[in-house]
Amino acid sequence: MNEIVEKLTICIEFGKINQKSPFPPSMRGEVGADELTKQALEAGINPAEILEHGLIPGMNAVGLKFSQGKVFVPEMLMAAKAMSTALVHLKPYFQSGEVKRKGTFIIGTVFGDLHDIGKNLVAMTVEGAGWEVIDLGVDVKSETFLDTLGKYPNSAVGISALLTTTMANMESVVKNLKEKHPLTKILVGGAPLNAAFCNKIGADFYSRDPQGAVAYLNNLQNC
Amino acid sequence: MNKKQQFDKLLSGELHSIVLFKPILMHFAARFNKTTYGKLASDYKVLVESNIRCMEYFDLDTVSLISDPYRETSAFGARIEFIPEGVPKCLNIVIQNEDDAKKLAIPDIYHCERTRDRISGAGHFQKLLKGTVPVGGWIEGPLAEACDLAGVSEMLINLMCDPDYSNLIMDKCMIVAREFAKAQINEGCDYIGIGDAICSQIDADTYDLYVKDRHKELVDHIHSLGAKAKLHICGNINHLLPSIGCLNLDIIDLDWQVEIQEARKILGNNVVIKGNINPVLIQETSTQHLESLANELVQQMHGQKFILSGGCEIGVYTPIANLMKLADISRKTKTN
Repeated sequence: MNEIVEKLTICIEFGKINQKSPFPPSMRGEVGADELTKQALEAGINPAEILEHGLIPGMNAVGLKFSQGKVFVPEMLMAAKAMSTALVHLKPYFQSGEVKRKGTFIIGTVFGDLHDIGKNLVAMTVEGAGWEVIDLGVDVKSETFLDTLGKYPNSAVGISALLTTTMANMESVVKNLKEKHPLTKILVGGAPLNAAFCNKIGADFYSRDPQGAVAYLNNLQNC
Repeated sequence: MNKKQQFDKLLSGELHSIVLFKPILMHFAARFNKTTYGKLASDYKVLVESNIRCMEYFDLDTVSLISDPYRETSAFGARIEFIPEGVPKCLNIVIQNEDDAKKLAIPDIYHCERTRDRISGAGHFQKLLKGTVPVGGWIEGPLAEACDLAGVSEMLINLMCDPDYSNLIMDKCMIVAREFAKAQINEGCDYIGIGDAICSQIDADTYDLYVKDRHKELVDHIHSLGAKAKLHICGNINHLLPSIGCLNLDIIDLDWQVEIQEARKILGNNVVIKGNINPVLIQETSTQHLESLANELVQQMHGQKFILSGGCEIGVYTPIANLMKLADISRKTKTN
């Protein structure tokens, strides 16, 4: 594989954004995802290859380490930031259709809940896995999910909650979404949740971490 | 022996055979007292009354001033909106950049309405309970407060990229934390809970680099003022336990993800472990199942310094019968 693309994977995995970024300390002074993506495009590497073989494996690697408890939220945030920086350079190719997304994923924290860290991590990881992500933010009501699903009808939906008090609000959102869009796959996640609760409220999949959501979504795409 | 004497004996190691009971109650306490979370968080009299009603009904062994994360944030200048049936909402990010952090003034906690309200709550508890029940104060830990002021993602990225900026923010949070703890102790708090929820989301090296010494400083400060110190970090802190073991805490809250016996081995026998049934289970499962889980936990912790509790806040929809079952299990150890 191309050396630039290989280095890009490492930069994403370890959250090296650009040459100026002091993180990670072991890569201080080296070029990062920003410069390497530009270099790869200038070298004529296909943007789809940059995404498929450079960025996505990097996010997969850090996502796996996060699932295994080997890295924590700050390291995931740095990786996602490096990924976002690289994606800026690929954006024109997404818009022209030269690079295709795997699908669209609508995500938000359920109404009544203002926490966004878990939701952000899932959004960033799913985007890093090649999906278009529509992030509705926090305190999202059923109507907003429904309106957005109307605009992106074949999307999957992710709903997050951090509190035992707000997880109960997921049930009405799932019910409303399923009534109008019975085929839409709904993923739920958040600290107080589990698979049993997911089943109880009629959602399709509970993921305890971002990587689980990616695996489920990628599997949907392959079905 | 009243509850205060019982609490003191548990902490000093004189009582090993009993299990005290003190779940974290906020929204639940408000609803139990037929009021709203918004009122509980904004009016110390409502908070105190709700806590005392719960204490009397469920035979709780301490009362607490915990309400929400934004007392100190409000003192630093954030605008807070009270939601009737939800956690108060912080409407603005106080620190957007390094310049904001440098200019951020240290607030007078007696002047700010929200911090003054909690201080008044400490005094009100003492006035009503007359020293017979331990009163717990509450402060935000330095990283949690820094996240409240600067935004969670932004602050966690700062930890990775900008140590000076991170330290500047947390140093200012520490000044307020120390003052706020002192004010609550002066008004009669017997112990102070330090809430630093976000710490479960950072690795042990980052905790050691930025937070551990600050936690130790707060614990020492609280001890120097004659009170006991408790640490509460939501979530899985298995990876932080060796560092937390060096803090000289009196009480540690353990959330349900922590393996409690392993934690005891790492933390030693001096600290009171408080926990750690999954609050979702307390809310969702049958009373019989909960009884079995709680009995198993109490048996595991037999002869140790232990307070029975949920791993984190009790959900607002928790059946009264379930909480009462936990109270019964604790009560049984006191009468045997």
